Amino acid sequence: MSTKHSIAAAHFIADREHEKWHDESLWMVRVKRDKMSRMFPEWERLRQMANDIKMYSNSHLDTLLQEFEKNATANGAIVHWAKDTEEFNQTVYAILKDHGAKNMIKSKSMLAEECHMNSFLISKGMDIVESDLGERILQLMHLAPSHIVLPAIHIKREQVGEMMEKEMGTEKGNSDPTYLTHEVRKNMREKFLHADASMTGVNFAVASTGEIVVCTNEGNADMGTSFPHLHIAVMGMEKIVPDLESLGVFTRLLARSGTGQPITSYTSHYRKPQNGGEFHIVIVDNGRSQILANQEHLRTLNCIRCGECMNTCPVYRRSGGYSYTYFIPGPIGINLGMLRDPIKYSDNVSACSLCLSCSNVCPVKIDLGEQIYRWRQQLDSFHVASAQKKVMSGGMKYLMERPRLFNMALKFAPLANKMPRFMVYNGLNEWGEGRELPAFAGKSFNEMWKNNEIK
Amino acid sequence: MSSKETILAAIRKNTLKQYDKPDMSVDAIQFADKEAQFAESLKASGGTAVYMQAGDDLNRMIGEHFPEAKRIASNLPEVRCATFNPDDITDPRELDNTDLAIIRGEFAVAENGAVWIPKSVKYKGLYFISSNLMILVKKGEIVNNMHEAYRKLEGKDYDFGVFISGPSKTADIEQALVFGAHGPIGVVVAFVP
Repeated sequence: MSTKHSIAAAHFIADREHEKWHDESLWMVRVKRDKMSRMFPEWERLRQMANDIKMYSNSHLDTLLQEFEKNATANGAIVHWAKDTEEFNQTVYAILKDHGAKNMIKSKSMLAEECHMNSFLISKGMDIVESDLGERILQLMHLAPSHIVLPAIHIKREQVGEMMEKEMGTEKGNSDPTYLTHEVRKNMREKFLHADASMTGVNFAVASTGEIVVCTNEGNADMGTSFPHLHIAVMGMEKIVPDLESLGVFTRLLARSGTGQPITSYTSHYRKPQNGGEFHIVIVDNGRSQILANQEHLRTLNCIRCGECMNTCPVYRRSGGYSYTYFIPGPIGINLGMLRDPIKYSDNVSACSLCLSCSNVCPVKIDLGEQIYRWRQQLDSFHVASAQKKVMSGGMKYLMERPRLFNMALKFAPLANKMPRFMVYNGLNEWGEGRELPAFAGKSFNEMWKNNEIK
Repeated sequence: MSSKETILAAIRKNTLKQYDKPDMSVDAIQFADKEAQFAESLKASGGTAVYMQAGDDLNRMIGEHFPEAKRIASNLPEVRCATFNPDDITDPRELDNTDLAIIRGEFAVAENGAVWIPKSVKYKGLYFISSNLMILVKKGEIVNNMHEAYRKLEGKDYDFGVFISGPSKTADIEQALVFGAHGPIGVVVAFVP
């Protein structure tokens, strides 16, 4: 009955101390978000506006994307369209090849992850350097991100120190974050200055002006685009916002929700190619147009990738990003995975306590928890429902529909208190693994009520 | 059919219901003292705000804030302590090892400590590669919030523009805050009369 999530989570929580650190660190980010959200009275109004703008823009994609293309082209950018992963990777590769580029400096893009772009380009002989500190650490450790905004949240400073000793010859045993960060800064300078091409993701694409907006704290996207002659910006088509007025709503919500800051250090607006270079924008569908037709899950397209649903999720905080089988973990990842392939990624839907904290904090009001609940109702139709749970809920149904039998079962339940351990804690009681059953009360509530013992 | 046409056709086919553009009115926060709020927001994000008075010497003030800066870039005529004009170079890589860049910002945003900087130098790399940044903003050029900020940008032409709020920062190693991940380690915003 164990899902892949619960098996992987068991591995994560084996290190109790680290699990506690992970849980508390992410909760601190959530607390910072709460503080930010209470600094002005219009917070809930902004969330509603953000949701409404996304519902508008995602239901007018055909006109907004064309408006964006027209304005971006007028600005001097070159716009490409890619249906799927294959076409996306080939498009990027063709641009790079056309420029004789051998190495590319890249800031964070969840889309590039979605399309496994790095491994594709590396297989073609390209050198791809991640420039976000967390992403760079993971790249050098040959690991994947475990959070979409805090990619290396699962890595300990000692591990970073050890890796950097080998890769950059840093001082032995020195794992001070300031020291290590500044060593990476020195090491990366050369890579920024001498890259043949740069790539950035896109946080927002403004239809009315044809510009793209990229938000970072490190300034890595800006450093990356400042020296090479070629900038490739890649975007899922739901990144479109109608105009600058709408953009104001999102730039107020994004960092406050994601990291508890009023704004990222850099909110960069790219309109025209720099210094006689070329500016390419690749618009990608890769399944997004299919989601449009799915009314129950349409609102996943609202997502601005702030990561707040991970920070607030009690299951994510205590099980880590690697416990999920889709590359985006947490509540939004559970839903996006199911939309990608409900059979392949169904293990993740159990990684939810249905507390709905994610739905309550999402800055664009995606009904994340409610959607997970709906997926669970459909598991049987995908033939991936747990056989053991089906037997159990079948049994519960049988009992619930027969009050006399139900009451009798309750009457005899206290017997379990005195049963030998092997009869209670065995392979059939998976719940009892790592947990103790509470003692059954001597009398049921029903019995006490009838005997007038409860007022 | 081109990929663009294929994608647009799929969008048209799958869009089941069109939602209206929402009412964009919002009663957004205003500050009684925008300058004080800006200074507080910028401090929280790791930078410093300075309010100059009439008669204050700009170049002396720069020296006081960055006594150790040797290689100083600026294309602003009033900055006499600059050691080079970044618009004179022909390769942006020459900007590496700049200790301090003094640049122009158009307006400040009180709610988050950001300054809008439309590119007004030859290479935008200057804004990011310099170890320290001093941003000069004309006194009074300050808005309450991002809604007002974008209203000011409506119809403006820029190649590249950036809201900068404090120094470059990261917390990617165990959530420990470190300034100067890749860009400036120190940022001072000076309001000049």
